[in-house]
Amino acid sequence: MILLASSSQDDLYRWERGVHSLAPVFCSTNLDSVRDELVRLKPQILLLDHDLPRLDGPEGIAGLMKLNPETRFVVLSRTISDEIEWGLFRTGVRGCCKSDIEPEQLKAVVGAVQQGELWIRRSLSWRLLNELVVMTREKNQIKRAVGELLANLTRREYEIATLVGNGESNKQIARRLAITERTVKAHLTEVFRKLDVADRLKLALIVKGSVSPNDTTQTGR
Amino acid sequence: MQTVTVAIADADLGRRNKLEQILQGEQGIEVLTNVLSNGSSVTSNDQPRLHAGMVEVEDIIARIGHLRPRILFIHLDPSNEANFALLEALHREYPETFVVLLTDKSIHEEHVIQALANGARGCLSHEADPFHFLKAVRVVDRGEIWVTRRMLGKIMDKVLH
Repeated sequence: MILLASSSQDDLYRWERGVHSLAPVFCSTNLDSVRDELVRLKPQILLLDHDLPRLDGPEGIAGLMKLNPETRFVVLSRTISDEIEWGLFRTGVRGCCKSDIEPEQLKAVVGAVQQGELWIRRSLSWRLLNELVVMTREKNQIKRAVGELLANLTRREYEIATLVGNGESNKQIARRLAITERTVKAHLTEVFRKLDVADRLKLALIVKGSVSPNDTTQTGR
Repeated sequence: MQTVTVAIADADLGRRNKLEQILQGEQGIEVLTNVLSNGSSVTSNDQPRLHAGMVEVEDIIARIGHLRPRILFIHLDPSNEANFALLEALHREYPETFVVLLTDKSIHEEHVIQALANGARGCLSHEADPFHFLKAVRVVDRGEIWVTRRMLGKIMDKVLH
């Protein structure tokens, strides 16, 4: 099901011509109807007029998305700035194009979005890659910083920290390592101090986040 | 039209020669050979060897520093962790050199995304139409990216979630 949403009958007619062969089509002419139909019909695709009265930009669109997270949004607009258009994609929109797009082209857009593709102008797509690079760099920096912290642990301390990360209790750890619970607690106190954390949960997050399942490079001293 | 300098890093001589032929015939594209700092030219067999281990990443970075290509085509071998370290180092040290990945059919999408996350600006199959290689050079040279819409969809999922 494809839901078309616009207060312009001309736009609805032209869009319907483009996509009617792809799936059953339903039209809404106002925001309240769009909300209702998103919940009722759970359409696969929503073609949404950016100028729909009371839509309220990215925030309004984000609100609509919550009504049915499975629906893929394609926003059609007259003229919007690169910043606003990029903001729509950051909200989760899967495609943006002009309101007066030719029906055959709209069919290609919807077909692509149905397949999981992103319909974004090439001149905007570099922003997406930049975000991926920045996000990855930050993740790697955190991983390195945490790795350096963990490298300060002794071999035994690292071993115990890993077992805490696996969800084991002090009793289980003691049994596994053939040491007393008291010794486990003493080691953990030192681990907490070195990593500057206050509890097992934070310790577990650090350990789980820094080491992949196959990583054997962390040996401690 | 300003000339775009291109270098190719692929240990497979046949693939490299084929891509060189596609690019060399095009106006405005110059395929670089490996010019050393003493000014001598060497054969294309001395193109940066990107199937080396981690230790040689620095050596390869230094060679790219000499060549300073605008576009660098790199064959992506995901089994070699050094590839990703190299991409990250290139992006950091020579951000004005844009890397375009060359992949074969067996590549997993996750490896391509990992390479793009480490700074590559585009991705092409070795089997792509020659027209696409030429277009990719022009597109990436002007600061855009060469990635399929499908891949962009997967990247957006990663960024948003």
